[in-house]
Amino acid sequence: MNHVILEPITRRPPVVIAGLVVIAVLAFLAVNRLVHRFQEQEKAWARQLFESGQADLRAGKPEKALEELRAALTYSRDNFQYQLALARALRDTGRTEESEAYLINLWEHLPQDGAVNLALGRLYAREQSLDKAIQYYHNAVYGVWGADADTRRRDARLELIEFLLREHAFPQAQADLITLAASEPLSPELQLQVARLFAQAQDNEHALAQFREVLNQDHGNTAALAGAGDAAFRLGRYRTAEGYLQNAVKADPEDAQAKHLLETSSLILQADPFGRRVSSAERNRRVRRAFEQAGKRLESCASAKGIDLNSPSPSTGLPSLKARWNAMKPRLGELNAPSAADMPDAVMDFVFEIEQQTKIACGPPAELDQALLLLSQDRAGAEQ
Amino acid sequence: MSSSSNSPTVTAGVPVASQAEAPKRLPWAKWFALSASFQEERLFLLLAVFIGLFSGLAVVCFRLAIDWSRIWLLGPLPQPHSWRLLVAPTAAGLILAALVMRVFPSVRGSGVNQTKAALYIYNGYIPFRTAIGKFITAALAIGSGQSLGPEDPSLQIGASLASALGRRLELSREKLRLLAPVGAAAGLAAAFNAPISAVLFVIEEVIGRWSAGILGSVVLSAISSVVVVRWFLGSEPLFRIPSVSLVRPTELIAYAVLGVAGGVAAVIFARAIGYLRARLKARPRWTQYFQPALAGLLIGLIGYLGFPQVMGAGYEYMDQAMHDQFTWKVLAILAGLKILATTLSFVSGTPGGMFAPTLFIGAMLGGAVGGAERIFYPHLTGSTGTYALVGMGVLFAGFLRAPMTSVFMVLEVSGNYSIIVPVILANGIAYVISRSLQPTPIFDMLTRQDGLELPSLEEQREQVVLRVEDAMRVSTDPVLNSEESVQQAYQRVQESQADFFLVRLHPSGWASVSRDLLKRLVSEGKGEMTLGPMLPTGRLPYLHPDLPLEAALRHVYEAPLVPVVSRADFRKLEGVISREAVLNKYKVVSREERG
Repeated sequence: MNHVILEPITRRPPVVIAGLVVIAVLAFLAVNRLVHRFQEQEKAWARQLFESGQADLRAGKPEKALEELRAALTYSRDNFQYQLALARALRDTGRTEESEAYLINLWEHLPQDGAVNLALGRLYAREQSLDKAIQYYHNAVYGVWGADADTRRRDARLELIEFLLREHAFPQAQADLITLAASEPLSPELQLQVARLFAQAQDNEHALAQFREVLNQDHGNTAALAGAGDAAFRLGRYRTAEGYLQNAVKADPEDAQAKHLLETSSLILQADPFGRRVSSAERNRRVRRAFEQAGKRLESCASAKGIDLNSPSPSTGLPSLKARWNAMKPRLGELNAPSAADMPDAVMDFVFEIEQQTKIACGPPAELDQALLLLSQDRAGAEQ
Repeated sequence: MSSSSNSPTVTAGVPVASQAEAPKRLPWAKWFALSASFQEERLFLLLAVFIGLFSGLAVVCFRLAIDWSRIWLLGPLPQPHSWRLLVAPTAAGLILAALVMRVFPSVRGSGVNQTKAALYIYNGYIPFRTAIGKFITAALAIGSGQSLGPEDPSLQIGASLASALGRRLELSREKLRLLAPVGAAAGLAAAFNAPISAVLFVIEEVIGRWSAGILGSVVLSAISSVVVVRWFLGSEPLFRIPSVSLVRPTELIAYAVLGVAGGVAAVIFARAIGYLRARLKARPRWTQYFQPALAGLLIGLIGYLGFPQVMGAGYEYMDQAMHDQFTWKVLAILAGLKILATTLSFVSGTPGGMFAPTLFIGAMLGGAVGGAERIFYPHLTGSTGTYALVGMGVLFAGFLRAPMTSVFMVLEVSGNYSIIVPVILANGIAYVISRSLQPTPIFDMLTRQDGLELPSLEEQREQVVLRVEDAMRVSTDPVLNSEESVQQAYQRVQESQADFFLVRLHPSGWASVSRDLLKRLVSEGKGEMTLGPMLPTGRLPYLHPDLPLEAALRHVYEAPLVPVVSRADFRKLEGVISREAVLNKYKVVSREERG
């Protein structure tokens, strides 16, 4: 290179640079205007395609809708609303992998966004990926929402709870229900829903409390009465259950479930020899009645199964129970004897054993046998 | 070009003789020259930034033009069985042929070879008319559904803009020659939104060698053009795929299979183009008026019959393929149809690039191979998107034969580093297969069809590099010291038959002395004097064993013997090299190459 012979650019650099800057600025402005116009046009096309896609989704044409939503995104690639709509449509049409790719991309840009997290939660819920679903649902619950944020957060939590209940993840569901119940003042409708969810999550204590809260605000709420009766029944509080269920049946005589539970509760209360304020004479009468009923249940079950209860070697199964029942029957007269204080317990234990064994052999019983079986379960629970 | 700045002469020792022979300059002239040189270098870097800005702006407009023409010609949502798909590419093909034949004859083809030719043959001269022509014709071609891409034309537009700017500023021929690759890198970087890939591609394919002198300008222009594009069009990566994690290293086998498939597909693609292009070029000239229209009609027919995805650059469909939109069978069909469509478009002489179609074919092929593999091996964890992305790199490496660019291109267009191991493996396999089945790379094949011979980095890599150590010999003659007396030196040379001897100078450097001179000095009664001041010439240049043999050529004509010294200790003589030894080595190698 010959450095001595200067080129024109080095002879007049300020002029050249100034000229280039001016040209660059002018070109920049011109291109900016052009791009702006084009992008506006693209946005219009995109909106048109998006709306058309949404309409097709509503009309049950998911394939066409997907094409339109994709096309909308080619014209407005970074549009959050379109991406989310496409991801949701993909998820709802079973294209979870593609949907996941879109949603994860959105999530990487907006990790706090409630809608994106909710969509991801739903995606993983659909895939039955419990941990991820819980993670993103919780992100949605604590995420950023636009208008009506409290309602959306609450709805997200409710959706999570329903998912957990479907997955039989009762402890997690109970935890979220407790948080939901404690977090805000709930309307009677929502409280009723929460109470029902508690019941589904097998947390009958909280369910009963929530139903009672509803009844405090609305005494005649039939659903709450039935729910409270049901929860109390499951808790083994049959007298409380009977009270709620009587009112529930009175308010809605067509409620077969409440009616059935009421009947069962009444039977249990009438059959329970260990209930409070039951005299010893009445207790003995109930024990005898239970014993007789257990004998009948044994015979009817054996008959249904074609088992000979008078088998010569009754070492196991129903014949053995029948042999023991026969052996115990003559001793029932000792119930009134002061020296036989343990006798009622021994008889009832045997009755419960018969009810449990016959349930295994012949299925769930009805009426008094069902009452005795429930009593046996309560007693077993209490002993544990 | 940059030979003066990075040539072995600089690495070698500074010859005192050449310094002494330099013309005497006045101090102010020296200062002025140095200052001007420094100013020029800085201005050149600044100019690279401006070239990047202008190229970026041009590429933004180019992309808008493609989109406008596509929407105008094919509609916002091209659907199969639409008459537009047949009419638009056919009609546009007729217009394109007329434009290429009558108005812009230099815009035919992709633009990569034309830029390379400008650099090596036309001293960096690319008419501004080429930029305008390429802009219009490529936008119309891609927009009308011809199966071509915008990247190579962007490269040529950038190079053309740079060349025009250089000429306008009356730059020297040397600088003009440098500007073309600077503009090419800017154009490609803007088109790909990927500066590293653009720089690597320009080095691998356009410049043909690593050159420190131009690297700074190329990088600056690429970055500034990408900044402009991102300013206007956003900085999102071209494709969005989830992170890749290799659960088991054995999964790499699946990617290796993709590498094999990609290598074979690349060879089929390259051979189809090479075969058909040569035959169509040989047809009468008037047929060239109809070739783009015929290609357009056939491609339109493919679209009309149910595969509009093969029309145009197809980036949106690549994105869809990555997101499991198509079954593996459809992906395989799309890959095959795209090879056919791109071959038709390219051999017809329609202006447009091959980058996007290559990526399209690679993405579809990758998705198809991945999908098929997962049928047989459901435990494979890579998604379709992963295989599609790796497939892109595979075909890029196999077809365009730019292995380094292919790796970085995949990383840049996806913004995903987690995929690098499968990409390197699959690309490497595809490259090796393609090289063994198709020895001539596609760009070299095209230039040779056009009757040109341009340097190829791949071929340069194949060449045997001769080094100084291959021609030097270990010196058995005495090495004299400048501090010993003339008499002592004369006595020592008596033991040797040589006429010239090396002298180790104090504290460093080398010189030579002849037997005759020593004899004359002794006879003149200067035997007791120190040898150093008696030496008639200045220092000898010296070489190192690992230097290319070309480096020796510059010095062996100045001195009968040139010392080859250790890089760790310049006073330690490794050997000597002479003009005869260098020439003999070249003769031997030449004879071996001729077989």
